[in-house]
Amino acid sequence: MSKNDSKRQAILGSAYRLFRAQGFDGTSMADITSQVGGSKATLYSHFPSKEELFVECMMAALENYMSDTLKHLDASRSDPEAALRNFGASVLNFICSAEQVEVRRLMIAEASRSGTGKLFFDKLTALRAQISSFLDACMASGLLRLDDPDLAADHLGALLEAEVLEPLLLNVRDAAPDEMETALAARRAVAAFLRAYAPTDPSTKAAAGPDAHLRRLPPHEL
Amino acid sequence: MKTKTESKRQAIIQAAAEVFREVGFERASMSDIRERIGGSKATLYNYFPSKEKLFFEVMHQAKELELEAITGELDADADDLRRELVRFGQKFMTVLYSADAIAVRHLAIAESRHSDIGRLSFEQGTVPIEKRVAEFLRKVMKRGALRTADPKIAAMHLLSLLESEVLQRVLLGVIESVKPEALTGAVRRAVEVFLSGYERS
Repeated sequence: MSKNDSKRQAILGSAYRLFRAQGFDGTSMADITSQVGGSKATLYSHFPSKEELFVECMMAALENYMSDTLKHLDASRSDPEAALRNFGASVLNFICSAEQVEVRRLMIAEASRSGTGKLFFDKLTALRAQISSFLDACMASGLLRLDDPDLAADHLGALLEAEVLEPLLLNVRDAAPDEMETALAARRAVAAFLRAYAPTDPSTKAAAGPDAHLRRLPPHEL
Repeated sequence: MKTKTESKRQAIIQAAAEVFREVGFERASMSDIRERIGGSKATLYNYFPSKEKLFFEVMHQAKELELEAITGELDADADDLRRELVRFGQKFMTVLYSADAIAVRHLAIAESRHSDIGRLSFEQGTVPIEKRVAEFLRKVMKRGALRTADPKIAAMHLLSLLESEVLQRVLLGVIESVKPEALTGAVRRAVEVFLSGYERS
């Protein structure tokens, strides 16, 4: 790691701790500088605004996790179904951890106050694109029917989160689900997903491509 | 401390609803609300310990009644299951994605560690809705229109799918509310996925 990178990592680490302890409004760039050491100018040379630093440090763990996990997700492997199941269980386990639930809650809470919503959304969209490209490969190889892979990624995500996420976000249960619980939820979600996106019967496949009415609306129409 | 009465409680909720509508949640204060109904600040706080609680009560009351009615209308014997689900999904999402309902939801998540509005929202909103939808799906499965599965989980899958295209945008404030006509496509796509995920093999 270069000196520059390690400085950046140190800033992200301190900022993450401070934001979590004191919230967005309660943390200033000066607080972060005094934790990490160095000048405010150095801090700003790495992160042009408090908003950007906030979003970067909140998303860092999820981004690292995704890039590590997606490396192992390969649609050309012998059993992409099993790969998808394992991926689902792993992702669900990660996002249900106490720390990630708190990050998600903070992200939602601050999105409207500090105008960081769009920055978070763009990062999450970039992560989704990586999952879409795996699903796209599954569609190309015939494991899944042809459809909009971004839409399929949204549906997969919704199915994965369906059983467990809301009570965690609303602080109704404080203990994160154990691996057994997330594995079962992921198994049911992936099973429903695979049925829903199963390739259509070749005999009825004459009209290739998804129905026009099933195409996703462009974001500006929402 | 004087006994609390339901009529006084409703009068406060009514007054708060007016204030929130007029100036919005951020700018509304407990003093504004107290001025409208008269009485002391202590009385007001005796009924509602914070502005958040009061806001939640106001919005929740209005939204919950509507959502209850919509889930109550689900007809397990409808000839056309797809049509019934699309009809339900459209109405349900229209209420759930109104600006007021989104504000409550946002608040419930943001404040869930500091107050019990997260728990209230889950117990009075999420749970009864899931139960009704599960009951509907149980009947549909029983008459053989969907494959046999745990209806409670199927209900959670259906409700989560309905929101899949819009939830994140709305919670992150990327869009403030969703127009009913824009929900149509998302609802139809979600229902297609749900039906093919749960159709009889």
